[in-house]
Amino acid sequence: MLLRQHPDWRGLPAAVVDRDKPQGELLWVNEHARALRILPGMRYAAGLGVCRALRAGTVPEEDIQSQVAALVRQLSQASPRVEASQEEPGVFWLDADGFEFLYPSLRQWGEGLRRQLRRLGFEAVIAIGFTRFGSYAAARAGRGVQAFESPQQEEAQLRQVPLDRLGLAPRVRDRLAKLGLHTLGAFATLPEGGVRRRFGVEAQKLHQAVRGLEWAPLCPEQLTEPLVRRQLFELPEVDAERLLFLLQSFLSELLPTLAQRHEGIARLQWVLQLEDGSAHEEELSPAQPTRDEAELLSLLRLRFEAIRIESGVVELQLRVHGVAEQAEQSTLFAEAPKRNPEAARRAFAQLRAEFGNEVVQHTRLHEGHLPEAQFAWEVCEELPVARASEVRPIPLIRRIYTPPQALPPRPRHEPDGWLIAGHREGPVEEVHGPFLLSGGWWLRETARTYSYVRTRSGRWLWVYHDRFRRRWMLHGELE
Amino acid sequence: MLAPSYVPLWCKSQYSFLEGASDPAELVEEAHRLGLPALALTDRDGVYGVVRAHVRARELGFPLLLGSQLTLHDGSSLLLLAQDRSGWASLCRLISAGRLRSPKGSSKVGWEEICEHAAGLIALWGGSESALVHPRAPDGVADVLRDAFGDRLYALLARHREAREVALERRLRARAARYGLPLVAGSEVLYHLRRRRALQDVLTCIRHGVSLATAGRRIHPNDERVLHSPEAFALLYQDDPEAVRRSLEVAERCRFSLADIHYRYPSEKLPDGRDSAEHLRTLTLQGARKRYPEGVPFEVSAQLEKELGVIHQLEYDGYFLTMYEIVRECRRRGILAQGRGSAANSAVCYCLDITAVDPVRMGLLFERFLSVERAEPPDIDLDIEHDRREEIIQHVYQKYGRKHAAMVANFIRYRARSAVREVGKVLGIPEVTVDRLARLASPYGGFEDQVLIDAGLDPTQPVNRSLIQLTREIQDVPRHLSIHPGGFLLGHEPVHDLVPIENASMEGRTVIQWDKEDIEDLNLFKVDLLGLGALNVLHRCFDLVREARGVELDLATIPPQDEPTFEMIRAGDTMGTFQIESRAQMAMLPRMKPRNYYDLVIEISIVRPGPISGGMVHPYLRRRQGLEEVSYPHPSLEPVLKRTLGIPIFQEQVMRLAVVAADYTPGEADQLRRDMAAWRQSGRIDRHRDRLISRMVRKGIAREFAEQVFQQILGFGEYGFPESHAASFALIAYATAWLKRHEPEAFLCGLLNAQPMGFYSPSTLISDSKRHGVVLRPIDVRASDWDCTLEPMGARAGAGATTPLAVRMGLRYIKGLHRAQADRLLEARAQACFSSVQDLAARARLDEGMTARLAQAGALAGFAEHRRDALWQSLAVEAPRDARSGQLALDGAEMPARFEGLDPFEQVEWDHLSSSHSCRGHPLSSMRAELQAQGLPDAVQLRQLEHGSEAHYAGLVICRQRPGTAGGVVFMTLEDETGLVNVVLWDRVYQQHKVVAKTESFLGISGSIQSDAGVVHLIAKKLWVPRLSQVPGKARSRDFH
Repeated sequence: MLLRQHPDWRGLPAAVVDRDKPQGELLWVNEHARALRILPGMRYAAGLGVCRALRAGTVPEEDIQSQVAALVRQLSQASPRVEASQEEPGVFWLDADGFEFLYPSLRQWGEGLRRQLRRLGFEAVIAIGFTRFGSYAAARAGRGVQAFESPQQEEAQLRQVPLDRLGLAPRVRDRLAKLGLHTLGAFATLPEGGVRRRFGVEAQKLHQAVRGLEWAPLCPEQLTEPLVRRQLFELPEVDAERLLFLLQSFLSELLPTLAQRHEGIARLQWVLQLEDGSAHEEELSPAQPTRDEAELLSLLRLRFEAIRIESGVVELQLRVHGVAEQAEQSTLFAEAPKRNPEAARRAFAQLRAEFGNEVVQHTRLHEGHLPEAQFAWEVCEELPVARASEVRPIPLIRRIYTPPQALPPRPRHEPDGWLIAGHREGPVEEVHGPFLLSGGWWLRETARTYSYVRTRSGRWLWVYHDRFRRRWMLHGELE
Repeated sequence: MLAPSYVPLWCKSQYSFLEGASDPAELVEEAHRLGLPALALTDRDGVYGVVRAHVRARELGFPLLLGSQLTLHDGSSLLLLAQDRSGWASLCRLISAGRLRSPKGSSKVGWEEICEHAAGLIALWGGSESALVHPRAPDGVADVLRDAFGDRLYALLARHREAREVALERRLRARAARYGLPLVAGSEVLYHLRRRRALQDVLTCIRHGVSLATAGRRIHPNDERVLHSPEAFALLYQDDPEAVRRSLEVAERCRFSLADIHYRYPSEKLPDGRDSAEHLRTLTLQGARKRYPEGVPFEVSAQLEKELGVIHQLEYDGYFLTMYEIVRECRRRGILAQGRGSAANSAVCYCLDITAVDPVRMGLLFERFLSVERAEPPDIDLDIEHDRREEIIQHVYQKYGRKHAAMVANFIRYRARSAVREVGKVLGIPEVTVDRLARLASPYGGFEDQVLIDAGLDPTQPVNRSLIQLTREIQDVPRHLSIHPGGFLLGHEPVHDLVPIENASMEGRTVIQWDKEDIEDLNLFKVDLLGLGALNVLHRCFDLVREARGVELDLATIPPQDEPTFEMIRAGDTMGTFQIESRAQMAMLPRMKPRNYYDLVIEISIVRPGPISGGMVHPYLRRRQGLEEVSYPHPSLEPVLKRTLGIPIFQEQVMRLAVVAADYTPGEADQLRRDMAAWRQSGRIDRHRDRLISRMVRKGIAREFAEQVFQQILGFGEYGFPESHAASFALIAYATAWLKRHEPEAFLCGLLNAQPMGFYSPSTLISDSKRHGVVLRPIDVRASDWDCTLEPMGARAGAGATTPLAVRMGLRYIKGLHRAQADRLLEARAQACFSSVQDLAARARLDEGMTARLAQAGALAGFAEHRRDALWQSLAVEAPRDARSGQLALDGAEMPARFEGLDPFEQVEWDHLSSSHSCRGHPLSSMRAELQAQGLPDAVQLRQLEHGSEAHYAGLVICRQRPGTAGGVVFMTLEDETGLVNVVLWDRVYQQHKVVAKTESFLGISGSIQSDAGVVHLIAKKLWVPRLSQVPGKARSRDFH
């Protein structure tokens, strides 16, 4: 994933670090780094001591999780049973049982899979073996695609696997190396009790795995696909009411399935294929996951009333995304609050249904000098818990224009005075300022001279002169 | 019409650490350029920068006001300006109180304290941090401040063109009217030019530990914290010219200058009611009788009279008595100490036993040390055994008290690497990238585009351009206060009336807010107590020889003029000795061929950048070897240059030359020396150029020689070495050389126990000793102490002058073993021998990590067949238990495991990994056959090659040097099992192979042999990485720039 972000690093030693610090630990290293004996578990600074060209970066955990999930979906096309390693992201086990009848050989199946992953930008090493650990170890140590002909061949290969290819704790790995043990075969010669005493349970598990004493079944990912219903129209449908009725029938069909899954509807998506070849997509979410058909229908109705469909619909497709139901037991004993957040959520859902998903927003304050950098509008996903706060009287209300409006270029000294906002507003009669704002030199430099000006019409304008754009801008008004 | 002028009363320099962005001198210069009538320097909670500002202001004739912005307990701040000397003392006391009670880097004072110290101070109350603009009215504080300061309390307006200031100013004006405070106009000044604003933003981010992107309102919203011109300031306060005028009134009331400080050295408590001068005379004459038991020579008596007269005239008697007392205390405690530097020019110092060089016999110049014309405090540097210096430092504190003695500060400043790290972080560049960049940057040099390119960054990117620009700007900016290695300021009056004192990070130390240069600029006395590792080595050696052989040795009893010692020195076989062990010194010795003590004095002085860049080395060597006639440019110069064969080598000679050839007075000559030291900064040396050359020519000296002398003076400026200094060092150099020659085991042992010090790593020192036949025994828990020790060879132990000895390596060389752990081990061993690894671990309470380290170092050899067996056993050790719980029991019988023993290469490699040295062999020994198969000679074979022949060589890099005066040439020392090889890389070759040269520790060199007088250099043409079946681990190279 890191190399996909930095393609120029592909020919260099590179590593993923757990944090963006020189003392960050190397989590994964590429082959160039490994060739220089830069290994996982080292500190970045230590790696840099070995090779000054070592590149490193972090990959956020959530990105890894989402990429693993995406790969599981992708790999599911190659095998119905896919297990992603919980301990080592990037390691997957696939059940290849029976594919020898579908493909000329399992190696060819593996090569196809490898090509598929390469198209996604990933280099894969694939080992097709007889045991979970044997194939894992072969994949960690090998290149390309390996397919074992017999369990004996797999075992023989297993014993040759270098210990530093496995995800051993660096301390254990280094100590085994000091003892002159560099392969799994050599490791297996140690007495089991001695291994546990000296290197702990994880090393003991590895020891057992090498000797074939560790077995665990494949635990494939359970993929929950969204439920989909589709309807083709022989004649283009133009009646929204009929479309709504059709969606209602889809919902009625799907709700029992969701009930079986113990899921509520979190999101509805529908696509209208139009006869002019275009597509119209919509989606909405209820206040909280639900199987309440009436509530869902009322939201659908609000949305249908708000949208305009320009031409006839030739196909309607509905996708229903469910999530597991939340236990509501705790609420049974909770004291009823004075406020009713549930009602607020429903109201927001209705607003979103009617005016669009981004219609409910709130402000977040920021520490910035530029007025527009002091706050931001954010889509309100969750209803925040109401908190009482001290209400201070506001002497003036400032209405801020986003973006600021350009004022006509007028000289400051005209016979009729400073007509900053044109003749209609009259000349400026009172000025407060100037107040200077400048900065951002490291990114995009800004230099503004702000003033509060009162025009003859009585309006208090909040204006600034932009030094770089060389013009006056209206940033707001005082009321 | 001229704008009404004003005085900036609130200026903070770089010495408000990580806040101000301009040097104090820059602020003064800019204020002067703008035509301002004065400027007030008011750094936060300190006066760190006042001397720099004072010196510049004095040069420009510019009035400077001094004060500080003090932080109160309630988090607010108040500006105080010193009106007079008493006000300055109050300010220093206030800051000292705030600093001493607070953690390092912060300060807090109370309102009551401020009021108690109000005398002589003007208070300016304002600014956004002030209590005067706080929403809650400070009525109580206002009352007490007004009572304490009366009409010296002002309300300070602070405008920076920020919208939020309008409300604050309204509040301030209302309260000032209520409390009856006059208003004075001001603005906070953090930089002298607007273009410094970016640096100020960066410093702010560093202070808060944030990046620019996340700094928010921690950085200022505009660049208005600049030093305004009178016109700009008048415009800023066009609505209140009266407040502007009042800034002049405030400045008028402040008359204090640092020139008002009259410093007196603490007077000694004298026995018999005698005064200092009499006491000093008595002690000196007593000392003279000891130094010259056969009668004090006439010229010595005359010199002593002269010196005592000057000392008394300048009232420096107390200072000499202090130094005498410190040296006496060292002797009383059995600590080796020796004065050096210009003090060695003084016969009084020699007679007081402060120095060990007889200046009269050596013909050293007293004026270099002290002169009436100069009237500057003498500078006596006292070298003390490094390990025991702290004892003497604490003695000084105890004797003079914390109020009268404090250590001199040292400002830690940004250098290239720290600069790129901090600026990179602030600019939001990933830290791992910044780290890579910092490692590629030269530690002392500039920061160029090429560094970014080498790190894989695009120097044209705006963020990277900012990185380059700001990294350059931030270099030399002070980061925080540290402590000078050994400088003390002693004062008759409490030091905190002179300069604030604060806590140092080191426990038990207090430090003043001025550094060495500040002290010198103000002509204050400094006592330098410096730690010297070589004295430590000598002391340890003397103790070892006494214990092992029963022979008493000290600096005075080491036989002088020992021929075998000089023979060894002439051969350049001086690794480990003091001062003459460097690569350059070792290469010079066979050419210089020193035969006596004075030759060593010259040797120490001549291998310096000054004489080298001044072109003095080769003429001197030619004359010494009889290849060139000794001649003098003028007969009058013969007495000055005779001892150095007509070539000026010492700083004193340059001064004398000026006296004799250009009719300088001794005081003028010393001024010349000082101007030489400062020529790069100020160009003051140019004043001497015409005077020197024209006067020399008038005396009949060839202009060519006069010009050459001046060029040599320039070379000396920064790098010249005084003869007195060299004379002191030569004594120690000879003593260490004598020990190396006659007691090599004790010498190595002392050297290893005194590490880290010197030019070479322990591994290199050990290899050298082995080549000299010293027997080394590896670390063994059954025999080793913490330190390395001497063991009698053979079965019979016992002391004797001729007993053959071996060096047993000490536990201190096990990486990661702490002293406390070793002490437990030694204590347990003293009770009973260890029977097994488990027994050792249980009784010494060592965990498996520690026993594993011991196993890897081979220190558990007595308990296992080989080191891997020992390691396997040690890994089974459980967490340490109380020794009383007895032996650890293995739970159940364990199947045995078998491991392969280490091969010779691995043995040496493990030694180096676990203890940074090997007694068993050299990393390259086991590769020799393979190297020879590739046609690569060892160091001995290489030295036998003819001059000019082509050669290829591979060895471990133990030292890299790139002297600033060598025009980019890099000198490397490579080592193998047979010796050292000196390599020279011309700049062109270095640039071609820079990465390999800087990073590889096992290096191949192809080049040509340069052989001269037995000194062999390999002139590199190509660098490469040798390809072998095994690669030695990273050797630790000591790199100097």
